[in-house]
Amino acid sequence: MYEAQRALASPVRNPRMATVIGRLLGAAFLICFGTGLYSHFLQEPLDWMRFPTRPEFLYQVTQGTHIIAGIACFPLLLAKLYIVFPKLFAYPPVRGLVHFLERASIALFVGASLVQITMGLLNTFQWYPWPFPFRQVHFALGWALIGLLVIHIGVKLPAITRYWSKGSLDSDHPEDAVSVDRASDAEAVRLWGSSRTGGVTGRVLDYIDATPRTLTDSVSRRGFLTTVGVATTAVVGLTAGQTFTPLNAVNLFGPRKKGVGQQGVPVNRTSEQAKVADAALAAGWTLTVAVAGTERSFTRSELLALPQTEVQLPIACVEGWSQMAHWRGVRLSDLADLLSADPDTSFRLISLEERGSFSKTQMGREYVRDPLTLVALELNGETLDLEHGYPARMIAPGRPGVLQTKWLSRIEAI
Amino acid sequence: MTTSRTGLNPPPAGIPASTSRRMRSIRLALLGVGVLLLAWGAFVMFDSVRLTRIPGVALWIAAAIVLHDAILAPIVFAFGIALRRAGRRVTGTVIAIVQGAIVVGSIVSLIAVPTLVAKNFAPANPTVLPLNYGLNLAIFWLLLALVTVGLSVWAFLRWRSSVEAFPDDSGR
Repeated sequence: MYEAQRALASPVRNPRMATVIGRLLGAAFLICFGTGLYSHFLQEPLDWMRFPTRPEFLYQVTQGTHIIAGIACFPLLLAKLYIVFPKLFAYPPVRGLVHFLERASIALFVGASLVQITMGLLNTFQWYPWPFPFRQVHFALGWALIGLLVIHIGVKLPAITRYWSKGSLDSDHPEDAVSVDRASDAEAVRLWGSSRTGGVTGRVLDYIDATPRTLTDSVSRRGFLTTVGVATTAVVGLTAGQTFTPLNAVNLFGPRKKGVGQQGVPVNRTSEQAKVADAALAAGWTLTVAVAGTERSFTRSELLALPQTEVQLPIACVEGWSQMAHWRGVRLSDLADLLSADPDTSFRLISLEERGSFSKTQMGREYVRDPLTLVALELNGETLDLEHGYPARMIAPGRPGVLQTKWLSRIEAI
Repeated sequence: MTTSRTGLNPPPAGIPASTSRRMRSIRLALLGVGVLLLAWGAFVMFDSVRLTRIPGVALWIAAAIVLHDAILAPIVFAFGIALRRAGRRVTGTVIAIVQGAIVVGSIVSLIAVPTLVAKNFAPANPTVLPLNYGLNLAIFWLLLALVTVGLSVWAFLRWRSSVEAFPDDSGR
């Protein structure tokens, strides 16, 4: 009984609440993983992979969701850890190999989750204070975390099924709360465990619990859920305006702002970082298109003399921001036709930039042949700014910003 | 406590054996899939990250656990006690509102403060972190305080009128 009282001492620290918050957090993790994989394979497709080009804002939605769900994980993960915190002091600390493995997996799960969402957040404003590469570690941790999530669900499945539905904790009924909550839900203790604690921490917990409780259990629980809900709404609502236009006005903490940047479009990689200014502004610049041994070079005025197409397409970045823009230029499929490229041909896009992981990228045939895919020469009614890829850049529907190659130099059939 | 709650518990009395057999096989399947995914993640890590960088990843994971369990959580505990101690004279709803407001403010600050810090490092270009995050955070806290005070006064007045109407029931 003593253990039961201790385990349920705080009305929000119960298995039902752990299930309620846990499934929201689990859903957020799955959303992050799914959208993250999609973004990963867009950037590093396997040979057989083809991607949808409509809706043209698809990547804006998937990657915006990735960042939004990731930010929502901050309040949800902290709430989950708050609920289960007393279990950190389970006594005895280890009761055999299986128990050790379970606790070790949870420690890794907690630590890796905290690192994953933190590095994701800091990456959205290009701050890298850690001693390892972002992309590779974020990707590997993504797999590991989903594995740990599945393990965690496997370990806790009896408790999850027992407390899945409303009213499953006897103490959910306020009238029973005082008697049941602290004493008699033995099933809860069996599935959830006790949290008898020893040492200094135990004494601190005792002291806290001995402090008079001024909240009724139902106020406490409703207050907790409301707080988690408001906190999640706040962090999402005050940042999502960087991609979700209706929230632009309350974008207080987003790392990007719609409309802020040269020609009203934010910039990810600058010409200075890419060290391309000299080559891009050189009078002799040409865009070379190479198909099956035939090469043709176009000056900027030659490109401008070809039929021009205007499209509305968003730039959507892996960092989660997006910006709708008006582009004008030559259809890539027109250029491919000029060189009689086979309709099944994929292309390699090569930037003037000599270093950088995206200076050479591949574009699958579904994008090459899409009527919205342009070699863009103008942006929002003006000549393309140097920071946006002057003299010519790629713009295609549904692709991450890093693949919308700026400062184009050469396009070749693969 | 004699029951093990670590791994695959025996079913509690009253649950049919077929249900528990199904539960057991689902759990084993989940554990198997989970371990495979975790192993794949480890493989991807060792395959794509230079070996000398991996201790850094481990260090960050360990530091995150320490930061939460040894620093953040005790601070939350301390706040909880302080509020309970301070809150002897008002209704529980007011305490819940104030507590909630502090938590919401803290979590929003957790998201916002890194932008303030990173902005000092001169971002790569002016379109990264273009906002005045310090001012925005101050505005946010101000609004949060106003809303909290408003809600608290409302809850307090409601509580006091109910205490006056029913002196025996403090409404706690």
